[in-house]
Amino acid sequence: MRVLLLILGLAAMAMGQDDDIVWLDNYAEAVKAAKATGKPIFLEFRCEP
Amino acid sequence: MLSPKDSPLGKLLRQYVPVRIIRMDTIDIGLFEHDRNNTIYFYILNADEQIYMRYGGRDNASPDTYLNIESLTLAAAKGLELHANPPPAPARPKPDFPKNYPMLVERTFERNQCVECHLIGDYQNLHRQKDGTLDKLVHLFRSPDLKTVGILLDVPKGLVLKEATGAAAAAGMQAGDRLAKWEGTTVWTFADVQHRFGETPRTAKEAKLTVERGGKMVELTMTLPPRWWWAETKFRQSSVEPRFYFDDRPLTADDKKAMGLPADGFASMVKYVSSIARTMELHALQEGDVISAIDGKRVDPDAHTATLFLILRKLPGESAMLEVLRGGQKIEMPLKTIQMSFRK
Repeated sequence: MRVLLLILGLAAMAMGQDDDIVWLDNYAEAVKAAKATGKPIFLEFRCEP
Repeated sequence: MLSPKDSPLGKLLRQYVPVRIIRMDTIDIGLFEHDRNNTIYFYILNADEQIYMRYGGRDNASPDTYLNIESLTLAAAKGLELHANPPPAPARPKPDFPKNYPMLVERTFERNQCVECHLIGDYQNLHRQKDGTLDKLVHLFRSPDLKTVGILLDVPKGLVLKEATGAAAAAGMQAGDRLAKWEGTTVWTFADVQHRFGETPRTAKEAKLTVERGGKMVELTMTLPPRWWWAETKFRQSSVEPRFYFDDRPLTADDKKAMGLPADGFASMVKYVSSIARTMELHALQEGDVISAIDGKRVDPDAHTATLFLILRKLPGESAMLEVLRGGQKIEMPLKTIQMSFRK
């Protein structure tokens, strides 16, 4: 599990460093962004590290 | 960097609005309804909150048996396909929020503590227990294990079977099949299947499945084995499950016959006793003891072991009288259970 979280965490860090990608931390904002962009939502629930 | 932004998953995620939620305070847990004992769980959905698929799920052995980058990448790719051509949207589930559970509110919101997923699941069950709606077969055994019915997945390939054994093999499933529908509902991921399996009425005797084989859809009927819903509960942080700190194994039919015990009874042999049982003076069981009756009962419609009988028929904190066979002697032994408390 820790390995997957590490992988996803690193992936998220990579996304965060990319100007095109921002990981949101607010669900309502994600819905708004999806409506504005037409993109689907990739929603992750995880226990707080 | 194990999964850089130029990796297949990274490229797919750029086409999404990614959001990570670690506090459940305002989340609609009616819409996002899943086994709260998952450490991590994903949904792919659109702006209208139509859920295309889930990704996550676990088994008895580990929280990450069914999680890996390859299958997550497959799910992310399929999610984009579905977004381009959405299937009909199902009816939206009734909204539900953590603040609807007063005991959860008292012990989290009002103390400014994080509303963690497992606490939601536990307090939902405590409220069910309080109002008499707790169905232990459903709410304690929340996520049946696909391996119980002989479905062994080639996990990196999503829902492609590595092997079919037991009930799945008897139904005609084969290695290389891809699970496509469960009881008529399209499934894309292990989480989709486990969720659907978990919703199966516990009285069900069979499940209708569709597999993709050689480009064709094949419909199968799988006969469900006894206690198909059973899965290990020890990893769960559950306040509604009595704790008694021993483990057992069912007796064989020959064992029961030799001991004069009913063939359909739940008599079982103790295989492990935790030192906690001694410390807390819960019981005096020893490894090798046979529990032949509990509170005078030897047969139960759902339980095949003494531990399962206790889980299903006792509330945490309740006591029981065991009939124990040890060294040819029959012993009446009191047992106490306790209720675990998880940061409450």
